[in-house]
Amino acid sequence: MMNQALPLIRRTLVYGALSLAAFLSVFPFLWMVIGATNLSADITKGRVMPGSALWTNIQNFAAQVDLPLVLWNSTWVAVVGTALTLLVSSMAGYAFEMFQSKFRERLFGSLLLMLSIPFAALMIPLFVMMSKAGLMNSYTAIIAPGVASIFIIFYFRQATKAFPGELRDAARIDGLKEWQIFWYIYMPVMRPTYAAATIIVFMANWNAYLWPLIVLQTNDMKTITLVVSSLASAYVPDFGVVMVGAIVATLPVVIVFFVLQRRFVEGLLGSVK
Amino acid sequence: MSGVTLRGVRKSYGGLEVIKGVDLDIAPREFVVFVGPSGCGKSTLLRMIAGLEEISGGELQIGGTRMNEVDPSARGIAMVFQTYALYPHMTVRENMGFALRFAGLSKAEIDKQVMEAARVLELEPLLDRKPKALSGGQRQRVAIGRAIVRHPQVFLFDEPLSNLDAELRVHMRIEIARLHKKLNATIIYVTHDQVEAMTLADKIVVLRAGVVEQVGSPLTLYDDPDNLFVAGFIGSPKMNFLPAVVDAGGALRLPDHGDQILPALPASAKLSSGTQVTLGLRPEHFRPDGAAGLRLTVDLVEHLGGESFAYARHGEGGEVITVSTGDSRALESGQSFDARFDPSKALLFNAQGLRLR
Ligand SMILES: Nc1ncnc2c1ncn2[C@@H]1O[C@H](COP(=O)(O)OP(=O)(O)OP(=O)(O)O)[C@@H](O)[C@H]1O
Ligand SMILES: [Mg+2]
Repeated sequence: MMNQALPLIRRTLVYGALSLAAFLSVFPFLWMVIGATNLSADITKGRVMPGSALWTNIQNFAAQVDLPLVLWNSTWVAVVGTALTLLVSSMAGYAFEMFQSKFRERLFGSLLLMLSIPFAALMIPLFVMMSKAGLMNSYTAIIAPGVASIFIIFYFRQATKAFPGELRDAARIDGLKEWQIFWYIYMPVMRPTYAAATIIVFMANWNAYLWPLIVLQTNDMKTITLVVSSLASAYVPDFGVVMVGAIVATLPVVIVFFVLQRRFVEGLLGSVK
Repeated sequence: MSGVTLRGVRKSYGGLEVIKGVDLDIAPREFVVFVGPSGCGKSTLLRMIAGLEEISGGELQIGGTRMNEVDPSARGIAMVFQTYALYPHMTVRENMGFALRFAGLSKAEIDKQVMEAARVLELEPLLDRKPKALSGGQRQRVAIGRAIVRHPQVFLFDEPLSNLDAELRVHMRIEIARLHKKLNATIIYVTHDQVEAMTLADKIVVLRAGVVEQVGSPLTLYDDPDNLFVAGFIGSPKMNFLPAVVDAGGALRLPDHGDQILPALPASAKLSSGTQVTLGLRPEHFRPDGAAGLRLTVDLVEHLGGESFAYARHGEGGEVITVSTGDSRALESGQSFDARFDPSKALLFNAQGLRLR
């Protein structure tokens, strides 16, 4: 009770800074929702009050975009891409941790080094590869390059360090082959880790923009990110419609996050306690 | 039930040899305990028998068949781990039936086996719980149950009780001894715990740095150790070691105890005078009616209730000597006393640490 002033000032500063940061991160989201209720002209004038044009914007959006098809495309890419990425990358992470080899650390080191290569540098060679393989304008071309995700391999290898080796020994004595240990023991035990990785990978796949833009050529293949962006880059963009599109594009990620949220936190803390 | 035979078994990690040629015969239905200091290779040897570690050299036979290259699940063994290693996402029932499922048994057959094992171990009320909802002792029983349902030829235990509290440890120890009788199985059991080794084993294998120092029944190792290491390792509190020099006629002079002379032992009579030897005396070899005595000053007394131990030395810088005073609680620290003992009970070791008989 000696010196109340100092903690008070400090607390005010801390809360002030946190509030500002919260506002900065929430504002675009808020603006998106408010924008969806206003006409394009009002939005460009800077109106940030809820308006009454939500229904008009939704109707315009529905007229311009074949929503079921676009959502289907995005869902396909995100769900299949996420499932394959998790499967392949977690297998690699498991193998890197479980199997002893002279080259293990060197190989892993060079993988991590590859993380530093920007995607822009890989884009052209990948493009050439895909077109030579006859995969242009296919979902395979979108999903394939990301399936062995170095970051997710790294994440799973770290998480696997906490996986008890005696569980694997017990399973071997119980007669399981290595892939069965992975499938029947490792995957169920590591569920929180998979949940956390699902959120990360699903978001990345759902929001993917640059690579799908390059690979996909026909309109019937396009994903929601491409469609919303093409709305925004029209000759006279209708920002009300763009905001509706942005909301539609954001919702699935939000849903996935809330469904897996608790597991996500557990996953970051480690699967095995 | 099958026996286990090891012939020149070796294990190296890279250039480092951790098991240096082990020969061992384990008879069917025998309860064998591996003991030895930490890092001596007990777990490694057990895991090699289980098939969890590759055998670098030599031969392993179970039931007379070479097993070096056989898959762990096909060796007819089951293992109980120190951390229990129960599958956390499965119920007790599923944990116990898991191996049978992979062996291709029918649902009804699995159910029957699991119920049978659950009955033996009194696990019936816990069958639908997950391991997280069990106490340490219950988890241990499930781990044993998981081993039993496989009807193995040989049970392997790696320090199965070391995560339990003292009371439960005693309880489970007795339970394991009962189980051994009931199942009539061959058991190989690794432990740090002297009491576990002495009470459970038909045969104890003392390991040091990847080498078998001695194999024998608990009392053989206790009464008749082959070398200083085994003599010091078996028994608690430890055996006392006193440097001695052989005098004329095999009499033993104790330079650290005022050059006191002890009468010749059968083993020392053959030695030439001047030979350096070590005399081994267990704490309980000290008795009030002993023919010889050491003049000692008490450092510390431990009263265990039924028995007391005095930690005492001769003079200021002398080695600490542990003396059992039986049920007498008369000694106090600082007190000087004459520690009587029966010199014929003393063991003799040469300078290389080998027993002289
Ligand atoms: N994978 C490995 N690579 C290299 N050395 C190993 C490996 N596993 C064990 N060792 C070494 O082998 C030796 C024996 O280990 P082991 O685990 O069998 O000892 P232990 O007798 O069971 O010890 P404790 O009583 O502490 O369990 C140790 O020196 C250990 O460092
Ligand atoms: Mg061990």
